[in-house]
Amino acid sequence: MNDSKSIKKSVWDMALSRLDTTMDLLNLTSGLKKYLREPRKILEVAVTVKMDSGDIDIFKGYRVQHNTNRGPAKGGIRYHPDVNLDEIKALALLMTLKCAVVGIPFGGAKGGVVVDPRALSARELENLTRRYTFEIINSIGPERDIPAPDVGTNAQVMAWIMDTYSIDKGYSVPGVVTGKPIELGGSLGREEATGRGVVYSLLSALKVNNIESTNYEVAIQGFGNVGSSAAKILYDLGFKIVAISDVEGTIYNPKGIDPHSVYNHALKTKTVAGYKEAEGMAREDIFGLPCDILIPAALENQIVKSNAPGIRARFIVEGANAPVTPAADGILKEKGIFVVPDILANAGGVTVSYFEWVQGNDAYFWSRREVNLKLRDIMERAFYQTYAAAQEKKVDMRTAASMLAVERVADAVRLRGIYP
Amino acid sequence: MLKKIECYIQPSKLESVKNALIEAGVEGISKSDVEGFGKQRGYKNGETPNKDVKFLPKTKLEIVVEEEIVDSVTSIIVKLAKTGKIGAGKVFVLPVEDAIRVRTSEAGRSALS
Repeated sequence: MNDSKSIKKSVWDMALSRLDTTMDLLNLTSGLKKYLREPRKILEVAVTVKMDSGDIDIFKGYRVQHNTNRGPAKGGIRYHPDVNLDEIKALALLMTLKCAVVGIPFGGAKGGVVVDPRALSARELENLTRRYTFEIINSIGPERDIPAPDVGTNAQVMAWIMDTYSIDKGYSVPGVVTGKPIELGGSLGREEATGRGVVYSLLSALKVNNIESTNYEVAIQGFGNVGSSAAKILYDLGFKIVAISDVEGTIYNPKGIDPHSVYNHALKTKTVAGYKEAEGMAREDIFGLPCDILIPAALENQIVKSNAPGIRARFIVEGANAPVTPAADGILKEKGIFVVPDILANAGGVTVSYFEWVQGNDAYFWSRREVNLKLRDIMERAFYQTYAAAQEKKVDMRTAASMLAVERVADAVRLRGIYP
Repeated sequence: MLKKIECYIQPSKLESVKNALIEAGVEGISKSDVEGFGKQRGYKNGETPNKDVKFLPKTKLEIVVEEEIVDSVTSIIVKLAKTGKIGAGKVFVLPVEDAIRVRTSEAGRSALS
């Protein structure tokens, strides 16, 4: 999208306006409103890296802790050229709400470095990660703030953060990050947890709408960790995946696409585009295709005022954070589309991160099956609590999830009181 | 960890379910003929329910397996016991604390194989 830069600048304003609406509905006091609008801590650091060329380069890094009233701050670290403070603040706020809506004992944080990780060598990426970790080292920790992977980062990056932090402390501290490799105390099932959570949310959404069949057509926008996991799990459950897109384009086949095979194709070519057994289209085209279920699983602000009217799905499950702008949201509502909002739908990732943190603290690890069953339990409970709130207050799922979350954070603030 | 799978299926589906489970490597199944009712209180499609519940004949299978194969066992049962109608059955998965073979006193995993 050409206007993505200018839209991104207002991500924080959009997040705040949504928060304000929720806080008004809950009749919070003006002091509490001010408190919840303000991130607790913002770090902006210069990440200095000696490049392979021998010269030094400096990358801007951020870590924002929005709220820590319900527990340690929790949130991913993003490596992307478009990272900016407004975006990180908005995503940190979203994490506060996400942890609250699924009822796990964390506050919200987010971090990022303005960098295109694909343009760095492995050594440069490692040095960047270690230097960034060092710059924020006094603010993170298993009881303070626990980073996790996000766009552009992965288990290897988490391993470097864990190592850097551990070297600084003088002993191994696996609990400082989640999304670690299994060998270093990662949790089984963490890799596909967000996608799996998206699937559980969808199944609950179908159930409350009295739909028993899996004979439905699914379009998936974005084929990274979340999109590909969700696609594979849905396919194995019997859903028909008709379209998949990524930055390079959309592939469409009304007869169905095998996402396992697309995954292998994308491993080799780095994109879904060019996949033989489907028709190739422009990236944006995915939003106009016939389907029953649309899963946006890429970046923010993908469903906007211009493409929302063309959407033909009956269900949207937000695998990505804030994929729908407020203006587009109004259009979806008018069309009667059932939207499972981001803070609920994609909370599977942070939920299994929580499991990883619990297992790490216990130094006792669970089976994959146990992780998945506990994840399902938490996702279903959160969905049904949100659905009940939506019915009772006669609001949509997004508003209900947000109200539930803000109420829980506000309760924690009231109970703890203000120091001194 | 050992898990027990208890399922209630239509008696007509026993043969195919049993054969597929053996094919998949399940080494022991207990079967009993039971009567039960579920959410439909024993009334089939098209029947008009009154206030009494009706017990309908069902086949109960009990299988103890290693946790790793639970999902494949349950998916075989679900796939083959489907009738397309209400009352096709239910599958439950329960934790098993231990298993002991009487003849040899072998316990845990060894008691199964």
